[in-house]
Amino acid sequence: MNKFIEKYINGSLSILLLVFYLVLSWILHRTGYEHSENIFIAEKIKLLFDSTEKNILVTLGTSYPTIVFLSSLIFTPFGYLYAPILASIALTVMLYYTLLKDFKESSKLPDFVYIPLLSLLFFLHPGLIYGAISGRGVAAILVFFYFLFRSLFRYYRTQTTFYLSMASIYMTCLVFCDFNFIWLLLAFFPFIVLVSLEGLKINKEQAPISQYFDSVNNTSQRRKLTNRAVAIYIILFLLPIGALFLFGYLNDTHAGNQDYFLNSQYANWHVLGNVSIGNIIINDHTNVSYQTQLLFQFYVIALNPLLLLAFFYFKGKLYELFTLLAPFILMAILIINTQYYFMIEYYLVFLILALVGLSFYANKQFTKKVTWFLVFIAGLLNVFTGIYYFKRTNDREEKVFFNSIRDYKNWLQEKNYSEDYRVAQYITNVADINNKVLIDDAAAFQIVAHLKSLEGIELPLNKSFGTVIENPISGVKFICVAKLSNALKNYTVLNTYNLNQMEMKGQFITELVFDTPNWSVFKIYPLDE
Amino acid sequence: MAQCVLHKMALDNSFTDEKLDAVLHIANIYSYAPIKAALNFGFMVRRDYLAYLEKQNYPIIDLRNEELDEAYVNQCDISHMNSFLYIPLRKNAEGDLLIAAADPFDEKLITSLVIKFKCKIKLVAASDLDITWLSHKLRGGFFVKEAVFSLMKKHPESSALITFTDAQLYFIFGFIALTLIFFIIFFKLTFITVNLFSSLFFLFSIVFKLYLALTGSKSELHSVVSKSEIKGVNELTLPVYTILLPVYKEDKLIRKLIWNLRSLDYPKAKLDVKLLIEEDDDKTLNAVRNLDFPANFEVIVVPFHMPKTKPKACNYGLYFSRGEYLAIYDAEDVPDSDQLKKVVCQFRKLPEEFVVLQGALNYFNKNENLLTRMFTLEYSYWFDYMLSGLETLDVPIPLGGTSNHFKLATLMELGAWDPFNVTEDADLGLRVFDNGYKVGVVNSTTLEEANNEFFNWIRQRSRWIKGYMQTYLVHMRNPARLVRQVGWRGFFGFNFFIGGTSFTFLLYPILLIFFIVYMIFKFPFIRSIFPDWVLYISIFNFVAGNVLMIYVNMLAVFKRRYYELILFAILNPIYWLMHSRAAYMGLWQLITKPFYWEKTNHGLSKLSSTSAVVTPE
Repeated sequence: MNKFIEKYINGSLSILLLVFYLVLSWILHRTGYEHSENIFIAEKIKLLFDSTEKNILVTLGTSYPTIVFLSSLIFTPFGYLYAPILASIALTVMLYYTLLKDFKESSKLPDFVYIPLLSLLFFLHPGLIYGAISGRGVAAILVFFYFLFRSLFRYYRTQTTFYLSMASIYMTCLVFCDFNFIWLLLAFFPFIVLVSLEGLKINKEQAPISQYFDSVNNTSQRRKLTNRAVAIYIILFLLPIGALFLFGYLNDTHAGNQDYFLNSQYANWHVLGNVSIGNIIINDHTNVSYQTQLLFQFYVIALNPLLLLAFFYFKGKLYELFTLLAPFILMAILIINTQYYFMIEYYLVFLILALVGLSFYANKQFTKKVTWFLVFIAGLLNVFTGIYYFKRTNDREEKVFFNSIRDYKNWLQEKNYSEDYRVAQYITNVADINNKVLIDDAAAFQIVAHLKSLEGIELPLNKSFGTVIENPISGVKFICVAKLSNALKNYTVLNTYNLNQMEMKGQFITELVFDTPNWSVFKIYPLDE
Repeated sequence: MAQCVLHKMALDNSFTDEKLDAVLHIANIYSYAPIKAALNFGFMVRRDYLAYLEKQNYPIIDLRNEELDEAYVNQCDISHMNSFLYIPLRKNAEGDLLIAAADPFDEKLITSLVIKFKCKIKLVAASDLDITWLSHKLRGGFFVKEAVFSLMKKHPESSALITFTDAQLYFIFGFIALTLIFFIIFFKLTFITVNLFSSLFFLFSIVFKLYLALTGSKSELHSVVSKSEIKGVNELTLPVYTILLPVYKEDKLIRKLIWNLRSLDYPKAKLDVKLLIEEDDDKTLNAVRNLDFPANFEVIVVPFHMPKTKPKACNYGLYFSRGEYLAIYDAEDVPDSDQLKKVVCQFRKLPEEFVVLQGALNYFNKNENLLTRMFTLEYSYWFDYMLSGLETLDVPIPLGGTSNHFKLATLMELGAWDPFNVTEDADLGLRVFDNGYKVGVVNSTTLEEANNEFFNWIRQRSRWIKGYMQTYLVHMRNPARLVRQVGWRGFFGFNFFIGGTSFTFLLYPILLIFFIVYMIFKFPFIRSIFPDWVLYISIFNFVAGNVLMIYVNMLAVFKRRYYELILFAILNPIYWLMHSRAAYMGLWQLITKPFYWEKTNHGLSKLSSTSAVVTPE
């Protein structure tokens, strides 16, 4: 029966979920919804494969989040724009399948409880659906977050180096999905110290805090405690830190800046896509008071009733509890210095955390019917809180996603083409080797991603870009500029303001040939024509 | 009625009846003279015994200076002389055949010798060690020749007597010539290609090691033999277990050795321990002679024959071994006390095709100095993770120097160790796979003495790396045959693990020099041979390779709970440079003196093995 469930039920459900996500993503695509991170990654893939410049390493070697970028590369044959979506769908389905398998193996919940619970979440939770079909890096974060915590829990059970080293590898992947997770370095501190107590010869009958005092008040035990804690720390964090060091070093060698992958709008979508809290307050006339210390933690718990249940069932199990608390500490650390709005991934990781907890909880209480009922109700509540989150999210693109899904009447209406797509169409029509177009993909990545080809396009990646930007008339016939209304105008030199400056210097004269609310395409002529 | 000296001693109350019964039981199992069983199984102090004989008016003759008629010796079989401890000398004036024997009271021996020589016999007393020394020296010729040439006769393609075959020489020189030509014609392109190939090879072999380590670390999750299984073993069903202890000028370690052997949890009567001493090694022989407590091993003297290597000694010892299973230890080794029982249990559980089990090695003097710490890091990952990883992936396992346990019959069938290979154990591990058998890993540790002196370490390591090169050359004489025998996975694993290890060490300093010169000086010339993309890949490979290697080292000591050593793994790049130094020395020796055995000095540690905690896992 077990093999049957694993082989057929889990497989069939996963395929069903895959089809469900594919259909939903197709519908969403028809409504014209495209997430900017999806397009950002698609544009980088386009540069990688379509650019005639030999220096593609700057794209391949600095694009971040690296894991999201690399996982999208696998799906390139299905089209650049669709590759990140397919990657995130594949990762989410993989997560679903793994969870089904892990619940079967590790939790004492019966099949008829955990299968509907997980299916309910993956088929109906808007956050998980968003993670799967938006083409963002959310799915990769969730997968590696799950694997990281699963490995830690397995480490407690077996005390084997294997799971600790696997945790380190997943930690590395997680950091290359979202840099903020490197701060787990601090967040894991309490549980690492507690786990280190395990190997000491102290009275295990007493409370952990007494065990801790016993160990620090004895020279030999204190040395052992320190050695073990430092060892776990190093094993867990050497790989992510080493990988970051290497990545930073490579960035420095090729882009002249160690933090290029974090700070450059050419390498990292978050530079452009993160929504500043100041902007939310000014533009949306609202506040994000829940994104403050303590309130945020409570807000997260409120959004994740399953997590509350996991806490409840882990009471008295100190390591597991501290492990479940680590992401809360992480968020407390992040809030100290974060000026931008936390998007859905920072909420979804707590849902995943709850699932890790529940899948590993093997107490007798899980054989009680009341527990089954509670788990299922909490799962259902989680779906509703997911909807609640999207209703009041302050991220514009999350709002658009939610509305696109909710307004099912628009699903089958004529496809809505985006502004960037229309600009790209125009440029595709005019650009060729003799009529080059100057574009800065720092802000115009969405346009570049929609171009049919990169022939006749002058981009910062091109070695001649430096010369062309100094004297456009020598190399291009058209310039695409961001208008003052464009939210990304400050990230590019090719904006209306700079164009006016160049014109005032008397380098050339311009003619507006295509215009949209955020973009203008100018044809340029030498002064003597 | 006295039948042998032990009965006489029992009558004199110099030997207890219980001991006598035990000795006779052992003598019966092994077909030994009772005195041999008594002296070699820990029942009697050699010096006391000789003193007893003198008291009984049997002066001990100085055998080495006695006149000897070899015609009589040549009539005797070495195995019989070795088992009954006698050697014919000459006829005396009365026409009696003088025979030196360890037990001049042994009536059974006298009877058999009278029948053999058909004349009157007179036994004179001699030290059993002198008898052993002289009998092996005079009559061990056949076996020692077999020990040296048996493999070469049976499987010439597996012998390292020829280091490079003609085809290999053509290939190597052809490759070098072609590379040089390309360098002359297309310098930049060739340099970039070689550079890329080298750095990718470096990274790949380290990623492969990480993969092996992770695969190997999974073995922690299950143990093949549980503690309760070992406790439940019926000792009556245990087979005779031979332990070979090849030594050379290890006089200082003999006492330690006895204590270590005593700690083994295995029936005393079933431990057939052979101390293999070279003919010219009087130091060790005298150390055994002068022991003031009973020895629990039998001395086998290996007659002189070149090459004077450990595998030759072991091969020689095989002809006198009685066990169903056989293990090799070094003199200073401290095996887990339950290791032998664990091996027997594991062999019984594993399929028949498993004919060798390798135990993990580690060090008792790990904290002695930086070198011993680094050595411990290396051995921990090698034996705890790498070998388990290779076993899981079904890739040929190079056996470690000691603590390997064989099925004796299969070992003989395989032609035993190659005396011309200086890492005969690694070679044998691969030969086991070649012949369709398997090598397993036993989760039991033997503590050794880590080399704590720099030049001693370099010498030892150069021999190991040279041996890996030899092994690689031997098994790559016919790559197609190797693929047929071990499969593609085995072939690939062999190339990266055996060939790759030596190659990586040779490559490492070159990559490091390029890296440093480029980073510090940024010469335009070097810039031209390091275009951006090559530089990117090279830096990635080099840094990632080093970090991963450090990490793999850390994992293994973490498993061993040697937490204090973890940070030392950061020094791994320096340790690798030492390897590179040894690798170049090994390469040079491979060309100039391939069979030369760089002797490693043992007993340099100031720490005692008894201070080491041996915790069976």
